[in-house]
Amino acid sequence: MLKMNNISRIYQSDTIQTHALRDFSLNVGAGEFVAVTGPSGSGKSTFLNVAGLLDNFDKGQYELDGVSVQGLKDSELSRLRNEKIGFIFQNYNLIPDYSIFDNVDMPLRYRGFSSSERKRRVEQALEKVGLASRMKYLPSQLSGGQQQRVAIARALAGEPKILLADEPTGNLDSLMARQVMEILHDLNKEGATIIMVTHDPDQAREVNRNVQIIDGQLADFKIYAPLDRKSQSDDDNQSIASVVSKEVHKEEVDA
Amino acid sequence: MRNNSLLSYNILLAMQSFKRAKSLYFLIILTLSIGVGVLCANLALVNSMASDPIPEKSANLLHISMNTWPDVQPPDEPMHILRYRDAMRIAESDIPLRSAVFYASGVYARDIESTSMKRFDSRVRATTPGFFELADAPFAFGTAFEKSRGMEVVIGHELNQKIFAGKNSVGKTLELDGELLTIVGVLKPWIVRPLFYHPTEGRAFDLTDDIFAPLETAIDLGWSIHARSSSTDNYAGVNETRDRNVYYLQAWVELDDIAKKSALQSYLDNYSQQLKDAGEHPLAINNKLHNVNEWLKEAKVVDQKVLAFTLASILFLSVCIFNASSLLLSRFHAAKFEVGLRRAIGASNKHMMMQGLTESVLLGVFTGVIAVILSWFFLKISVQFLPRLANIAVLEPKLLVLGMFLALITAIASALYPLYRANRYTISAELK
Ligand SMILES: Nc1ncnc2c1ncn2[C@@H]1O[C@H](COP(=O)(O)OP(=O)(O)O)[C@@H](O)[C@H]1O
Ligand SMILES: [Mg+2]
Repeated sequence: MLKMNNISRIYQSDTIQTHALRDFSLNVGAGEFVAVTGPSGSGKSTFLNVAGLLDNFDKGQYELDGVSVQGLKDSELSRLRNEKIGFIFQNYNLIPDYSIFDNVDMPLRYRGFSSSERKRRVEQALEKVGLASRMKYLPSQLSGGQQQRVAIARALAGEPKILLADEPTGNLDSLMARQVMEILHDLNKEGATIIMVTHDPDQAREVNRNVQIIDGQLADFKIYAPLDRKSQSDDDNQSIASVVSKEVHKEEVDA
Repeated sequence: MRNNSLLSYNILLAMQSFKRAKSLYFLIILTLSIGVGVLCANLALVNSMASDPIPEKSANLLHISMNTWPDVQPPDEPMHILRYRDAMRIAESDIPLRSAVFYASGVYARDIESTSMKRFDSRVRATTPGFFELADAPFAFGTAFEKSRGMEVVIGHELNQKIFAGKNSVGKTLELDGELLTIVGVLKPWIVRPLFYHPTEGRAFDLTDDIFAPLETAIDLGWSIHARSSSTDNYAGVNETRDRNVYYLQAWVELDDIAKKSALQSYLDNYSQQLKDAGEHPLAINNKLHNVNEWLKEAKVVDQKVLAFTLASILFLSVCIFNASSLLLSRFHAAKFEVGLRRAIGASNKHMMMQGLTESVLLGVFTGVIAVILSWFFLKISVQFLPRLANIAVLEPKLLVLGMFLALITAIASALYPLYRANRYTISAELK
């Protein structure tokens, strides 16, 4: 699905050169849920931005879903971003004066769908994150967790090949973070490929693959042992998960 | 289909963007429309001054100036006003298709059937009958008079409105300075701008005349000369001018073929030479033929001050564009986040350019509407201060179109640099 080979990204300012990524190589297969961890400033966001074609790189090869991205024109890169990638930001990045519907609809506008097709997809995506009833709300009328779920719906609406999330729960309290994580796990179960940057070791432990970036390079050891979620018998975790689904269910009924 | 829906999306986004920053866009639109409005008002003046009032045949209509002054020091050389017998020499010639010899006068006019004694101060053109066809005067009712002598007149649309409420007044009798003349023709509204047949003496933007009377009759009746005249002889009234050295008539000819101009020139030159040989004047032979546009230029119809002001308004407009551009730059700065986000979710640079352009075009349309209103307003004001501009300060349809076009161009020009800037950020820079 995603193949990076010896990618380098160097930020050049007046006086200093920062090697945010150096000879970075990584393969992610279809259906994987990868957690990326590492110290602050180690290049996690840079990696995710390069992967999401939001930033360019100076050296190396990157192949996304079989397409080699080096040398592609802006219009081709934009199309890849639009059709293959769903990006989830730490700050949600919703447009404050657009309704929830319009926010989720945004990427579909560049796709040439008919308005009924767009409506179907927006509704479907919002349903997946349990917010189908809040379509007419403004982002400010929702909690942080709900806003992040809207952002996930926006990423999902285009039915992308891969979801990229940069600390998606970084601004959320633990309950809301839990809801977001549950949604990501559900999506992964349905077959979505997900790469998530996180600094929460518990979150990293939940997913089936961990990678660590240190100083712009892949660390070849693992701090966290991957856990098989299906065999997990942690009561605490279970109860939080059930609280979450009740919460989501409750919102559905509320509105 | 796809482009169509993106276009309507872009229009929707532009309207949202205007609503979001109302006062900013208000300022931008005001700045640009004042700039465009001033220029447009100015161009309206230039347009009125510089346009060809009779384009179908302006090259074939010639105004005649001659040198026949009997003294060593003529007032002008050659003179644009002619003596009766010189003018008649021109009217006699069969080289031109037709000719018009006339002078400007004025009378008080009243309908003899009217119970009111109110008399209307009317501008008169005392002319040979060739004038009407030569100048393409449009008739609403009746026809031109056929001879240079006869108690008949043609009246203009406005006078007909004033006296006869616009009805067909052919056959009615007017009392003109105590004389009774019958109306044989009524003109349609007739705008000649500039007034090519009499642009001298600052009359280039006068209206067409109220009354057209046969030349010989006007002379017989002694209707006084309301324009420049010069003479070396004394005379008590116009009726005495036919055989004296009184210069007051203007002559125009229409050629069916401009190649006949040289024949006409030698006809005039021969005549002047004969006079000179007979000792009637001491001057060099110097007869001039000017076509309509040459004659308007000779009469300095386009005011140099207005042209200087045009240059100033162009500079002013560019200042307005710089201003609007910096205002827009702050707007696009604020929109950096949105641009970054849209790029991140798959909008291409081109999409963003189109979105920005749609916004500028709409901005241009609003600006255009306000600019056109403002230029109308500026023209009104300038007429208040300079009443002599009254008949020039006219916004023709083509100027409305020009105003809209200028507004569009300026709005797009103002948005170009900010658009270019907004699209140059790295996408990830604004998104955390
Ligand atoms: N736009 C940029 N310009 C200059 N330096 C940058 C830029 N973005 C990131 N960096 C630098 O690159 C390094 C990696 O940053 P980042 O990928 O954001 O780290 P992380 O997400 O792991 O905290 C840091 O040293 C950071 O200061
Ligand atoms: Mg980061």
